[in-house]
Amino acid sequence: MKTKLIPSALIIIFCIIFLIFYKGLQNSNIYIPKNNIEIDVPTFNATLFDTDKEILSEEIFKNNKFYFMNIWSSWCIPCREEHQFLMNLGSQENIEIIGLNYKDKNQNAKKFLKEFNNPFKLIISDIDGTIAIEWGAIGVPESFLIYNKKIIKKIVGPLDENSLLEIKKIIQ
Amino acid sequence: MASLIGFYSLVFGLFFSFLIILFSIKNLRNTNVFNNNLISLTFLQFLFVIISFFGLVISFINSDFSNATVFNHSHTTIPLFYKISGTWGNHEGSLLLWLVVLTLFIFLFLLKSKNQTKQYRILTLLFQQIIIIGFFIFIIKTSNPFDYIFPVPNEGLGLNPILQDPALAIHPPILYLGYVGSSIIFSSTLAATSTNYISKEWAKHIKQWILISWIFLTLGILLGSIWAYYELGWGGFWFWDPVENVSLMPWLALTTLFHCILVLEKRLALTSWIVILSISTFTLSMSGTFLVRSGILNSVHTFANDPDRGLFILIFLFCLIFLSLFVFLFFFKAKNENTYNFFWLSKETSILINNWFMMYFLTVVLVGTVYPIFLEVITSEKISVGPPFYNKLIIPFLVPFLFAMAIGPKLKWIKSDLKNKFNLLFFLIISFFISALIVKKFNVNFLVNTILMTSVFYLFFSTLRDFFISKLKNLAQNVAHFGFSLLILSILLNNIFSSEIIANLKVGDTYETEKFKISFENIKQKKEQNFEVIIGKFNIEFLNGDVETLRPELRIYNQPNIVTSEADIKTNLLKDSFITMNLVQNQNYFNIRYQIKPFMIWIWLSVLLISFGGLKSLFKKKYEN
Amino acid sequence: MYGKKVKLRFFFVLLILFILILSVFLILKSLEENVVYFQSPTEIKTLSEIDKKKIRVGGMVKTNSVSVNEKEVKFIITDLKNEINVTYSGAIPNLFSEGKGVVAEGYLKDKNFFLATKILAKHDENYMPPEVKAALEEK
Repeated sequence: MKTKLIPSALIIIFCIIFLIFYKGLQNSNIYIPKNNIEIDVPTFNATLFDTDKEILSEEIFKNNKFYFMNIWSSWCIPCREEHQFLMNLGSQENIEIIGLNYKDKNQNAKKFLKEFNNPFKLIISDIDGTIAIEWGAIGVPESFLIYNKKIIKKIVGPLDENSLLEIKKIIQ
Repeated sequence: MASLIGFYSLVFGLFFSFLIILFSIKNLRNTNVFNNNLISLTFLQFLFVIISFFGLVISFINSDFSNATVFNHSHTTIPLFYKISGTWGNHEGSLLLWLVVLTLFIFLFLLKSKNQTKQYRILTLLFQQIIIIGFFIFIIKTSNPFDYIFPVPNEGLGLNPILQDPALAIHPPILYLGYVGSSIIFSSTLAATSTNYISKEWAKHIKQWILISWIFLTLGILLGSIWAYYELGWGGFWFWDPVENVSLMPWLALTTLFHCILVLEKRLALTSWIVILSISTFTLSMSGTFLVRSGILNSVHTFANDPDRGLFILIFLFCLIFLSLFVFLFFFKAKNENTYNFFWLSKETSILINNWFMMYFLTVVLVGTVYPIFLEVITSEKISVGPPFYNKLIIPFLVPFLFAMAIGPKLKWIKSDLKNKFNLLFFLIISFFISALIVKKFNVNFLVNTILMTSVFYLFFSTLRDFFISKLKNLAQNVAHFGFSLLILSILLNNIFSSEIIANLKVGDTYETEKFKISFENIKQKKEQNFEVIIGKFNIEFLNGDVETLRPELRIYNQPNIVTSEADIKTNLLKDSFITMNLVQNQNYFNIRYQIKPFMIWIWLSVLLISFGGLKSLFKKKYEN
Repeated sequence: MYGKKVKLRFFFVLLILFILILSVFLILKSLEENVVYFQSPTEIKTLSEIDKKKIRVGGMVKTNSVSVNEKEVKFIITDLKNEINVTYSGAIPNLFSEGKGVVAEGYLKDKNFFLATKILAKHDENYMPPEVKAALEEK
């Protein structure tokens, strides 16, 4: 009698503990954040892609309107795929598309634009990749939607139909 | 490339587990000699795991962001040292490190256990392989450190700045050696139970392994505590945070186990108790992992959480618990013990008494840690258990605990008497007077502090005396106990005499108190490799004319964009001066916290002394063998 | 002789049982006294009476609500439904900022004023204490 009582009591106790932990597991979990919402646009100096002139970041994003900054490069394959979406977005009226040419050769980049058309209102060069670091960018391509000097949305990886639709909804 | 090699060696490692199990079962049935190929197989398994681990390290060094783990936890601008330490600063990498330690320990165990019986060695290997397989599957299925990303990102997300610190870089490996080291005790105990080999010889042999785990666990906790002291900027060294509790629980169990093993070695008693303790030590380590990694608890360590992982560890943990329960209940045969025949005044009785106290402390910590989970599940009320709970329940019981610790080692095994023990009384009176003097001069809460301090001083003096009279016969024990008394004493004095001020100051402001004047001189900016620093300069003028200059820092890291504050600490033998400054958002004010913490360095030194005691004991045994 | 041994064992078991019950009782009692409950501003508004016990309040730091002087920091915690004024004099964690989640520990003065003794910090900018998350989600 005694020999069976203790094992079964132990097993029942452990089962109860297991159940409670199991429930607890589903209960609370740590908050998973949305990607960097409402962060101030970083400040930096950059050279313009076309003219090699210096420009301050404040000048680029000075107006109270939507900007869409896209990090691209001629050597980046997914950038080619997303280009059509950028062109599509560029045809919208209330948004200005800024290009950040990332670790690229000027010649190649120009050839790229010639081949696929140029959706960018303004392109800045980031030859050593430091500006992309300032933005907290992870890779190429990557895009930021900016309004009122704040980053309101960040898209990692190439644009697609869904993200394009979402952006269009926001800027309406 | 390195990632690829890493992943395939991991799979090979798992394959070897099955091979080892196959061979051991064959070996178990057929011959009477231990098949030495098993050692080679274990070594190969260890080799593959190490290769896999270095694959990850190399990916981190090269900032290979095609590897998801590297991408999530590294960045090109981080100094090389932290790129490497980033390997184990995350969930996936740290599990790989677990596996390294698991396989290393079983390999060493097989090498070192040549005098043991074949059955026992093979069974230990088998039990250990069960744990190892569990971890292999856990890693490969739910937290593969070699997942790749396409398209390959150019930058990683960065390593959390508070992990970019030398103490925290070596804290995980040391802690894991202790944590995971207890797995070998677990496997060996189960093997010894099922072969009915719990004996004096077994005690002698397993003692070394207990000591090794214990030393590393102690040092690991120490490092974590030092880190928390200067990096978190709260100026404390123990916060009763769940993560800290989770490392303290196996430590308490391990310490208890070690003392019991001494009794077993001498008297062949307490066998069932020892089996339970060994099982619970490893179970507590595993539960700790579960509690921390599943995100079920709310603590300063935030690992990326994934409910699947939590569920896996939970199921695995309970499988191990049921397995050990099964082995214990069905195979354990009590030797003709004499637990109840302990003479009331003997070494073993005092060890037993202290065991009960340790178990009590363990229960308090356990309840405080898991109670919030239970309550939330049952009543969905959210609560937290704070330091007062622990202080209130632990401190009163420290008094008899310390007394027993002082008297116990002086007693003889089996039967002792109180002849020639008048010095014990003499020390008691001295301790009482010293404590009363100290407490009366400075403190209001007279009674509690005096009693507590008396017991500490009592242990302090009696262990100090032993250094001189016992001709270093039992040095290891003496050093460890002395270290413990020093630890409690420093903590106590530190608590009583600490003072702090908190103020919001602008540059150029001064803040005056009765004892000193703090002036905020200036701030300077500097740029480092992956962060910018704001260095504040503070002059502290004391009444007696002494001037101290402290320069706390604010570090603004680039990726992830996080501000951390680095305390500036001036340490001397008597006290630490500790200052931190924090930014208040959109304001000109800095939040300044200045603390005077007496005897801080003694807290660290005493823990070192305690682990040195363990080390000494380890080597003593080696000589005897 | 045998009888004495059994008696001894009996007392031993009884003693252990007694100690066990005593310690369980102690632990539970002390738990009850030292547990800190978590409440959101909305829950505080609906309280019928002000408790003297220490509690935690969590929510978001309201934008433009932080003001600092030499001694203390004042700010408003909101769960986007109700608000509570907080006064705090103590160390401010770096991750404390407007629009971010916060957990403050302290005592209620009345339903609108909270005297914080500690602000809890987490070491990840994106981290939101689960309590705050739940409180914010309920709105």
